[in-house]
Amino acid sequence: MSPSEKKLTEKESLELIATMINKAKDSYYDTGISAIMWGAVIAICSIVKLSEIHFGYRLPFDIYLLTIIAIIPQIFITIKEKKERKVKSYDDTYMDYIWLGFGICIFLLIFIVNSIFSSWEPVAAEYRQLTGHDSPFLFREFIAPLFLLLYGLPTFITGAACKFKPMLWGGIFCWICCLASIYTTIKVDLLLTGASAIMAWLIPGILMEKEYRIYKREQASLDV
Amino acid sequence: MDNQKFSPEESLQLIQSMINKTRQDMSDNGIYFLVWGWITFIACAGQFILKNIYHYEKHYLVWNLIILGIAFSIYQGIKDGKRQKAKTYIGESMKYLWMGMGISFFVLSMILSKLGWGTVVFPFFMLLYGLGTFISGNFIQFRPLIAGGIIAWILAITAVFVEYDYQILFGAAAILFSYIIPAYMLRHKNKYSTD
Repeated sequence: MSPSEKKLTEKESLELIATMINKAKDSYYDTGISAIMWGAVIAICSIVKLSEIHFGYRLPFDIYLLTIIAIIPQIFITIKEKKERKVKSYDDTYMDYIWLGFGICIFLLIFIVNSIFSSWEPVAAEYRQLTGHDSPFLFREFIAPLFLLLYGLPTFITGAACKFKPMLWGGIFCWICCLASIYTTIKVDLLLTGASAIMAWLIPGILMEKEYRIYKREQASLDV
Repeated sequence: MDNQKFSPEESLQLIQSMINKTRQDMSDNGIYFLVWGWITFIACAGQFILKNIYHYEKHYLVWNLIILGIAFSIYQGIKDGKRQKAKTYIGESMKYLWMGMGISFFVLSMILSKLGWGTVVFPFFMLLYGLGTFISGNFIQFRPLIAGGIIAWILAITAVFVEYDYQILFGAAAILFSYIIPAYMLRHKNKYSTD
């Protein structure tokens, strides 16, 4: 067995955990801005879409384009935060991979859902033409649950791994909304998606930002 | 606790030892990867054979094999729980990742129960297979797992373009590349390095 792979004793492990947590506490620079931005963007998109359906109007553009536009400030936020980080702790690396994987999965899910739509729509149109009414099976009813499933996963893992309870509960809230939205109409699905974005990202993001500002103030007073 | 300062080299060594420890733990717990990997692989291949070669109507019954996996996981989980193990920060994070994955598979099954199991099912599962192994692979710095995750994602995209029957085979391939092969490679690597 190589020296680097020696078995750790319980005491050594506890020391290691304490070191890592202290290290992360000293260098964790997540301002919560990303969470606030994405929470707000998803909530706005869901509520605007809901109002479009409920009041029967159409915006001249698809409101979900906001999610694409939001990638631009996200890139700037990421670059800025990376510059501000003193040390890249293992915590940061872990979170980076979770959220990178999540981002890839969201794009893949959009692709899969669009592909299913393009093959399903002609069948649905033919059904409508033949029977004079919509098919009892509407694929669009299942889109929100699929996205809510993915929203919950990284939020839950981040909350659990960072011991940040608002995110842990936010992730669980997404999964509960996901299960509920399987049985609800598209309007309720959109409402649940908006609520999930607020509970999973917006509120935890605000709390994170608050903690970050207190930490910065304390640091500034120590430096004086 | 004594707040001893670490030099950058010592910190790196500490992190590396944590990664190695987690990798060793994952290899020890690789039995879960292998059992679930083989059960899913056999179920996919079995369903394809029953549906396309034997034209058996209730081909989906082969998925009842999952009950064996659940029974095994509960038994093994209780057994492992009794063995006290030193915990590492990375190991704990990995536990939360797979706990989240387990919940996600359950929630996805609930969605698909309503959507219908005979529709586009496999790409969604492949998406999750890829996510779990991609994060784990990056976290323990084990490239076959990262590659397995990426292959699962590519298979998820391509599976959308083929018929349901062939999607089953894509599912089998995804599980082979993302779970089974990396689990054997990790086991081999750790066995080799321990010897």
